[in-house]
Amino acid sequence: MALSATASTGSSGTKDSGFGYLVPALLLVAIFFILPVLMLLLRSVLEPEPGLQNYATLLGSTTYLKVFLNTFIVAGVVTVISIVVGYPVAWLLAIMPERWSRLVLAIIILSMWTNLLARTYAWMVLLQRTGLINKTLMGLGLIDAPLPLVNNLVGVTIGMTYIMLPFVILPLMGVIRSIDPAILRAAALCGATRLQCFLRVLLPLSLPGIASGALMVFVMSLGYFVTPALLGGTSNMMLAELVAQFVQSLVNWGMGGAAALVLLVVTLALYAVQLKYFNPNRAR
Amino acid sequence: MKYQIAIALFSAALGFAGSATAEDVVFTSWGGTTQDAQKAYWADAFAASTSINVTQDGPTDYGKLKAMVEAGNVTWDVVDVEGDYAVQAGKAGLLEKLDFSVIDKSNLDPRFVTDYSVGSFYYSFVIGCNKDAVEACPKNWADLFDTQKFPGKRTFYKWSAPGVIEAALLADGVPADKLYPLDLDRAFKKLDTIKADIIWWDSGAQSQQLLASAEAPFGSFWNGRLTALAATGVTVETSWENNITAADALVVPKGTKNKEAAMKFIAAATSDKAQAQFATATGYAPINLEADALMDAELRKTLPDMQEAPQVNADMAYWAAHRDEIGTRWYAWQAK
Repeated sequence: MALSATASTGSSGTKDSGFGYLVPALLLVAIFFILPVLMLLLRSVLEPEPGLQNYATLLGSTTYLKVFLNTFIVAGVVTVISIVVGYPVAWLLAIMPERWSRLVLAIIILSMWTNLLARTYAWMVLLQRTGLINKTLMGLGLIDAPLPLVNNLVGVTIGMTYIMLPFVILPLMGVIRSIDPAILRAAALCGATRLQCFLRVLLPLSLPGIASGALMVFVMSLGYFVTPALLGGTSNMMLAELVAQFVQSLVNWGMGGAAALVLLVVTLALYAVQLKYFNPNRAR
Repeated sequence: MKYQIAIALFSAALGFAGSATAEDVVFTSWGGTTQDAQKAYWADAFAASTSINVTQDGPTDYGKLKAMVEAGNVTWDVVDVEGDYAVQAGKAGLLEKLDFSVIDKSNLDPRFVTDYSVGSFYYSFVIGCNKDAVEACPKNWADLFDTQKFPGKRTFYKWSAPGVIEAALLADGVPADKLYPLDLDRAFKKLDTIKADIIWWDSGAQSQQLLASAEAPFGSFWNGRLTALAATGVTVETSWENNITAADALVVPKGTKNKEAAMKFIAAATSDKAQAQFATATGYAPINLEADALMDAELRKTLPDMQEAPQVNADMAYWAAHRDEIGTRWYAWQAK
């Protein structure tokens, strides 16, 4: 956002629109991103023979529909939990003294920079039946048998929420920081309880941050691969895993392309919603 | 500045071209302890004796292989694949015919030789058990499918390949000589009975981790991975009862630029000495029939093809013919 803003102010001084300078970059995107995707999508209507049979198979099978449904359930659950957990953190970051908030922010960002596989494997070690969490709980006598925390929806939700949290916290923190604290004080002076201050003042004002954070997490979760593949079981497979399975294991690129297109269409549709209703440039 | 970038790009391009000269082979396999041994006893020995450099890559990916061949840009010269895939890919036109004037097939196990492939090594799916973690270990496939007698999680190979379907049918009482054609309905019905107790392993390393941590105290494993695990001090019990054997194959993707060197590498990798050393290190059996003479007799007895327990040979021709059909059904069943 900031980049495009400076670019447009920079070029507004000259007569040249600057489009010519974009050509190399656009070519790069076209050749390395758009063209391969188009080719894969073409395969979905050409292999094994021209027609829409791949889409018919994909949308006509209860198994694959279950994968779609499961993808939305996981993305939805992860989004809700990310918001619920991330909101207080963002709030805290916004009102903390700066040197503390900088430290906490650094911890959050540092975790984002750590290798995704390493972080996911760490969860595997923690969550498994013989893992630290289950052993501790059993040692304390709180449970008799290990809780099933991994190779299922629970594991996927925990692992993905952890990875998505920064994407909720950062935009939310920005929005909450921009809210004038005087408004909250005014509400308190007018007799609002703390809960009312939160529910009727802070929450509505931070809604744009919640919405953009939620949409970002939801869209990212829809196409997520590594974490569900490692922490999930086969019976709660997500769409990206299905695509990988078609492409790599079954070497059926027609079906792989069809599944990828469905994922792409859903993602683009959600992105369009974001642009239309939650565009930060428009809100200003 | 622009010049610097141009020079950098140019030299990078040169370097790239340089790495793909004729006397250079890229070998792709499945990673882990198995590929380590392939590198040590096949690739490094070959490079030392011929001055043909062998670069390791991996893991094997059939989608990638197909993409390379179709795009005419093959960067893998020799690939370790599953036996049934080799048969299928050969028919589909994805592989080069092997040059048997370079590769001496007279000593190779004829079960694993086709126009497009030779055996790589020979392994078994066996029942492994972490003895320290459980009171009793399952002795046969029926035990492994019996959640009453052996409660807890068990682990099986995740991908569609010869092994698990056969195990389910054997557990359900199908005689070993009546397995093929596979009764898929019956196999999936049997698998349904333990589905909730299965943790799938998708790589050999993961299977070792599951067993060592007792996350799944028993299951079906590649025998060599158990040998490697036992060597690290884990108390592993292996049951060879009706072990299900299959072989990996070495193939050359169609259109490779280093065909000659690839053939030479395969010849070296399947030689008696390379096969004997690899088998000694991994616990997999050699596919070169002359390798026996070069191996320690006691150790030779522990390998898959020398077991006294009954053994089931997975039918590679059957699998090659039905690979897609079984695979589609397998993954759909898993996702259910």
